[in-house]
Amino acid sequence: MPDKTLPRTDVVIIGGGWTGLTAAYELAHEGQKCVVLERGDHRHDATSFGAPEEHDELKYALHHTHMMDVKTSTLTFRNNRSQRALPMRRLGSFLPGEGLGGAGIHWNGQIWRPLPSDLEMRSHYESRYGAQFIPENLNVQDWGVTYEELEPHLDFFEKICGAAGYAGNLNGETREGGNVFEGPRSDEYPNPPMKQPIRSTLFGEAAADMGLHPFPLPSANVTQKYENPYGAQLHPCTYCGFCERFGCGYFAKADPIICVYDRIKEHENFEIRFRSTVMRVEKSEDGQTATGVTYIDSDGLEVFQPADVVCMNAYALWNVHLMLVSGLGRPYDPQTGTGTVGRNYAYQTLAGVDVFFDEEIITNPFMGAGALGTVIDDYNGDNFDHSELGFVGGGYVACNQYHGRPISYQPTPEGTPPWGAEWKRAVRENYLHHAGIGVHGSSMATPDNFLDLDPTWTDSFGRPLLRMTFDFPDNDRRMSNYVMERAVEIARNMEHVRSYSSSNRAAEGSGYSIEPYQTTHNTGGAVIGTDPSTSVVNRYGQMWDHHNVFVFGACLFPQNLGYNPTGPLMGLAYWTLDHLKSDYLANPRPLMDA
Amino acid sequence: MKPGIRKTFARLAMLAALAPIPVMVGAQDTETPAISELEARLDDERSLFNATVSDTAPDDDLLELGPLVAMGGAENGGSGMACITCHGGQGAGDGSGAFPRLTGLSGWYTYKQLNDYASGARPNEVMTGIAQRLTEREREAVAVYYSVVEAPIEKPLGEIDLGLLQWGGQLAAVGSAEKGIPACVNCHCAEGTGNPPSVPYLAGQYANYMSYQLQLWKEGVRDNDAMGVMSAIAEKMSEEDMRAVSEYYMRVHNPETTGE
Amino acid sequence: MGTLFSRRAVLAGLTSGAALSTLPINHAFAALDDKPFYFLTPDEARFLAALCDTLIPEDDFPSASQAGVVDFIDLQLAGPYGKGQFIYMQPPFPSGTPEQGYQVSLIPATFIRQGIAALMEAETGFVDADTEARSSVLTRLSEDDFDLGDLPAKPLFDELWTLTNQGYFADPIYGGNEGYAGWEMVGFPGAHAYYLSFVDKHNVPYPQPPTGINHEPGGDGRIPSGLKPQEV
Repeated sequence: MPDKTLPRTDVVIIGGGWTGLTAAYELAHEGQKCVVLERGDHRHDATSFGAPEEHDELKYALHHTHMMDVKTSTLTFRNNRSQRALPMRRLGSFLPGEGLGGAGIHWNGQIWRPLPSDLEMRSHYESRYGAQFIPENLNVQDWGVTYEELEPHLDFFEKICGAAGYAGNLNGETREGGNVFEGPRSDEYPNPPMKQPIRSTLFGEAAADMGLHPFPLPSANVTQKYENPYGAQLHPCTYCGFCERFGCGYFAKADPIICVYDRIKEHENFEIRFRSTVMRVEKSEDGQTATGVTYIDSDGLEVFQPADVVCMNAYALWNVHLMLVSGLGRPYDPQTGTGTVGRNYAYQTLAGVDVFFDEEIITNPFMGAGALGTVIDDYNGDNFDHSELGFVGGGYVACNQYHGRPISYQPTPEGTPPWGAEWKRAVRENYLHHAGIGVHGSSMATPDNFLDLDPTWTDSFGRPLLRMTFDFPDNDRRMSNYVMERAVEIARNMEHVRSYSSSNRAAEGSGYSIEPYQTTHNTGGAVIGTDPSTSVVNRYGQMWDHHNVFVFGACLFPQNLGYNPTGPLMGLAYWTLDHLKSDYLANPRPLMDA
Repeated sequence: MKPGIRKTFARLAMLAALAPIPVMVGAQDTETPAISELEARLDDERSLFNATVSDTAPDDDLLELGPLVAMGGAENGGSGMACITCHGGQGAGDGSGAFPRLTGLSGWYTYKQLNDYASGARPNEVMTGIAQRLTEREREAVAVYYSVVEAPIEKPLGEIDLGLLQWGGQLAAVGSAEKGIPACVNCHCAEGTGNPPSVPYLAGQYANYMSYQLQLWKEGVRDNDAMGVMSAIAEKMSEEDMRAVSEYYMRVHNPETTGE
Repeated sequence: MGTLFSRRAVLAGLTSGAALSTLPINHAFAALDDKPFYFLTPDEARFLAALCDTLIPEDDFPSASQAGVVDFIDLQLAGPYGKGQFIYMQPPFPSGTPEQGYQVSLIPATFIRQGIAALMEAETGFVDADTEARSSVLTRLSEDDFDLGDLPAKPLFDELWTLTNQGYFADPIYGGNEGYAGWEMVGFPGAHAYYLSFVDKHNVPYPQPPTGINHEPGGDGRIPSGLKPQEV
């Protein structure tokens, strides 16, 4: 029995990040009483993220002060089922958030759309390359929602962020200088692209010279003063170089606090409770719906919050964890291949080329921004012919200038010792003369990569930890290597290059490691689809098993894209909210037949 | 030491023998310091960075030209009005609001303002004509000059409401989450020392000047910073906010108010 | 309570070590002199100085200990990091694969204290050894080719190297990066960052002397003359 039961609310929202606050905004304006439960604290760009105190690399980038507290809750990890999973005792490979705004506070602001073919991946590959083309051991599936359906929502989120870029496909008309591979946009980016530093300019010139199609990285680091559709006012980015892992005190990086929370916090239908950790979603006796959620409040009391609608807006991994500990949906069983919760967990493949310039090129790496750079999309998705390649998927190749923070940014040429006098000299000599070219690739779901509950370790509330079983599929290793080789070709073609070296986190023969940072782009585990045997939610983000539970975030991705997930997952969020508002609320029921 | 700096030091050493150029125009604070004194003030990395306008550090000719321009002498018959008449020989300006303190402002910043006055990017009836009569090099020289002079910070006049000052201090330190105003310290640095070359100091600047500028940013009359950052901020500020933050910064680091 | 040896007293011991005889008068311990270490014993501090200076030796720029890295590590071990505030510490602690990451069952302060003790016992001449000899010890440690009893060698090396590197390059508010040694070395201007007018100026040096969070001016440490408050 809970310590107390509160009066019923229309909607309870689990998590105060991008999707949760957006759900609250849209539903509160629809007349729904919304209660947001956030496990972390209140914070605000003006009062919490101001420079120069925010510009503390040790505190924020390395001691992860804005991120989740692994001391109290983490997950366990193993590469395969034959191993015993062990706790991720420190943050490393990925950095989920905690507190108002969630991970949306410390993102880089790289704002992408999926390709139309990404959303119909199985159908697309089968129709272009034949039914046998996709390797058998990959759970590649269609999303159940098309680009055309998502486009208005992707467009709206870009306007919420004041995205900066140059459209490469405006209403079907291809435009050089933008991403010529992207799906048709109904509108230009709301703001012009960012300024380009020397390194990304050289990259773009080399790529263009090779017949590739460079364009400025789409950015939610705003480039001029801007008011979003909710009335939030954003300011121009100062290129301060403290973006990813930091909050932005300049009001220049779109985040859920300034873009959404400030515009809804005074609304009569909105309430947020901090330091409130949801223990489980409660199911009705007939099992058709959820009755609300039980959470531990800031006083440590167990509270039942009844609600007509439950929105699950935690980070991808923790949405899945909450389903598993609540008994929502059927857990995935890798032995039999049945069940769906925890199925199709995927990650991303990161490779890159380090380029070292001669003295003439002075990069001033500290003049950076999270989404500053030049990128090519020629090798992403199915933008290139896969027929002879033996893999599916792809990735973008980008030359970015994020930051020159001196603990994290110490580029040294291949063969430099890892410490000592030679290392020190190499750091000193190369700091101002280096470029990183990143390969940011997709990752396919397989039957062997999944999420379930750990039998040994628990969180500070006594619940079993989430257990992650993951290694890079061979398909992804081949893909990553192929695109990396293309990046090497561009590096070779760049001016002023003295030397270069390449590396691949998903290289053949090396296991995925939980330790070095890769991306905070964990996906899947509660995927979207049209078939209840291979998806947790229907194409509207509604749980098949409990029709008043709606699920948000990257846990919906059936397999991972070669893009950063915030744009796509927010497109899905607005799509779900659109159907909630226009259809479900007036007539609560399953929106699709199982 | 960086190579560019070393080169400048060599040039500065050549200047050491030059004689001072004392000038009296009648008003207070109209004397310009000796070249050797200016040169001596450029012997550290930070002052040199603050003074540097372009890719290369100031050379000896430029340092000689600066005081001449400030005193109203120049190639095209001068600016028509000596800088020192209103801004003083040491850049102290005055509290009217029309004549800001220029002392120690970065060379890059003052040079940019002169260019913007000349082009009309920063409209100002008085300064536009003056700046237009200066050559680019003269603008650079006088900008460098005012970056290296020294002048005491003026005592604020009149009584001030402590509540207003407190509000100003709060806006300066943490902005306003309610109004969506980012803190001044983000860019102008704690204690309002500025972040040379592109972000001017606020500490010790005249309150009347600062609040007037905020008003101009807000109205869009002044719109000459990169990407309109200041307009975006000023648009969210009320007149009281502007007054508060300006009065606050005038008193920061001011020996008259802090007892330093 | 830590042992009450002043930092200068510890340094006196340091200067007897051959490798450290070139330390300048204005050494890393001077700033915090007359205060005891918060965590380290003098022997541990001396050992760490020798270890850190093998990792980041003196050249045109200061060595690790000259830049205050030992002070940094002392403060880190005495603070939340040392106490394991950033680590999930629930047992059990079975060993795993390298891919499964850090699995040490001790909080970092204890791990490093025991690690230093084991290293001092195994390598009694370490502090007085030459660079080559010390490098060879650290190479073995980093390659997990070192018997430290129950303690894992490579994780210990990784921890010490991470701390040393952080201490050389973190903001000086943490006790290291003395005089902005690390930032001056690479050309990082620091916490005060506004580059809107410069990011697209290509190949132009930006020699802004560093300034940290605490506004301590870098370069040669002087405020531009025009910005100095002066008596009226």
